Amino acid sequence: MSARVTSAARALAPEPAVGQGGAAAASLGADAAAALRAARLALLRDLTLAFRQRSQLIQPLAFFAMVTLLFPLAISPELSRLRAIAPGVLWVAALLASLLALEFLFRDDAHDGTLEQYALSGQSLTWLMFAKTAAHWLLTGLPLALMAPLAGLSLGVPVAALPGIVVSVAVGSVTLSLIGSIGAALTLGIKRSGTLLSLLTLPLSLPVLIFGARATELAINGAPLAAPLELLAALAVLGITLAPLAAAAAVRISLE
Amino acid sequence: MTWTWFHRLGSPPYVYALAARLTPWFAWPAALLIAGGLAGGLVLAPPDYQQGDGFRIVYVHAPSAWMSLMVYMTMAIAAAVALIWRIKVGHAVAAACAPIGASFTFVALVTGALYGAPMWGTYWEWDPRLTSELILLFLYLGYMGLRAGLEDTQRADRASALLAVAGSVNVPIIHYSVTWWNSLHQAPTVMQFGKPKMALAMLVPLLMMLAGFTLYFVAVLLVRLRGEVLSRERAASWIPEVLKT
Amino acid sequence: MSRFLDMGGYAAYVWPSYAVTFTVVFLNIFWARRALARSRAEARRRLAMRAEQA
Repeated sequence: MSARVTSAARALAPEPAVGQGGAAAASLGADAAAALRAARLALLRDLTLAFRQRSQLIQPLAFFAMVTLLFPLAISPELSRLRAIAPGVLWVAALLASLLALEFLFRDDAHDGTLEQYALSGQSLTWLMFAKTAAHWLLTGLPLALMAPLAGLSLGVPVAALPGIVVSVAVGSVTLSLIGSIGAALTLGIKRSGTLLSLLTLPLSLPVLIFGARATELAINGAPLAAPLELLAALAVLGITLAPLAAAAAVRISLE
Repeated sequence: MTWTWFHRLGSPPYVYALAARLTPWFAWPAALLIAGGLAGGLVLAPPDYQQGDGFRIVYVHAPSAWMSLMVYMTMAIAAAVALIWRIKVGHAVAAACAPIGASFTFVALVTGALYGAPMWGTYWEWDPRLTSELILLFLYLGYMGLRAGLEDTQRADRASALLAVAGSVNVPIIHYSVTWWNSLHQAPTVMQFGKPKMALAMLVPLLMMLAGFTLYFVAVLLVRLRGEVLSRERAASWIPEVLKT
Repeated sequence: MSRFLDMGGYAAYVWPSYAVTFTVVFLNIFWARRALARSRAEARRRLAMRAEQA
């Protein structure tokens, strides 16, 4: 535990004071540089810590695989029928898996006080939130996107569709992580917040589901999927711009 | 232009007293408008050419749908004001809005289903409006769930305010994406569900109902608001006086 | 009168709609008044406790 805290402290140590006169512009630059440095260190810290607990990383992926397995068993083993529902199944499973993964976005940091350190550090909490969410995506969303082809093949998806599926899940999961970070920040410390977190996050995630499933469907039919993919990208950009800000505000609210 | 009136609205005792005074001014006109709308809608308006007497459901369906949206906007604006300018009364308004909005979203869905059953042949249709309305219900429930899950009132206020604002940013996105999704998957519908081109005799009761329900909402909001304002003031000096009345 | 109640055959849809709507209308009034009464009782209790402690 102390390793976590000291690495956090290192990430947050402010830059040594710049000389005074004429330092206004320089200090702005120094602030930005400090924020980026802090963000980079927070990102690396999260990644390092996560790799020490690899079992936790597997869980959302295993869940994704399980949920995908449910549908052939519940509906029909016929690949042609499964192919028809594959877009929906893949995306619902991905959405649920990412919801599951949200649990550990803030949990450990809130528990051992690191999050409070982040908030008190004077470094830009928005950038730190962006870094944490980026780490979260690298640890959950991206692996999910890389696993999606396997799930897709098991549902009868043609091989030609797989790259499109990987890209759409990768981009869509960015937005899911971002929206989820807001919900997770709002529900910090609430006991058994899993269902509440889902209730908060799911309505806001529906556009991603809709466009992602549509992109997958087009990929399966061999049609160009630029349109929904661009919309997914637009949602991701909107999320990257706004979500860390909202998450930072939510963290401050939750920590008071 | 003096902004005193605005600043006064930030004062809990002022708002409490004002709400008490204003309630009858909204409640009675609301009752009259709704009574008039009912008389006009149920009795005086002629049956519809296509939908017969079934169209009369619109006199309760449209106001409840209107309320579900209007109340959410009120809630989101009050929440934003409270967050930005740190006005506690704004949080009280938002908290007061939520149960009203959620219950009328439910009514909108139920009356919509009852309207759709004879007209479309099915109780439910995944058309953009119904789907968006259902999602709106979940947004309300999420808001109320978050409030309920947080014990500390201040944290509950501010967290749910942030959620309300984030939700309202998302509402147009959700609506747009649902519309787009529906246009891709448009099943052949039995009948176009649009507002019938309304004769005046049909339209006037509808407007009366819409206005009446809006005033009704304000009246109920004012009553709830007083309770919410009161519960946020721990032991302020103005309370003993007010409790005597 | 019975024609009114029958609503041109749509009675099974129209009347439940009105029933649900006005039930919720009255419920909201009831809930609001109850919430206010509870807040007032709570405030009284708080003040009484403070007076006791003083």
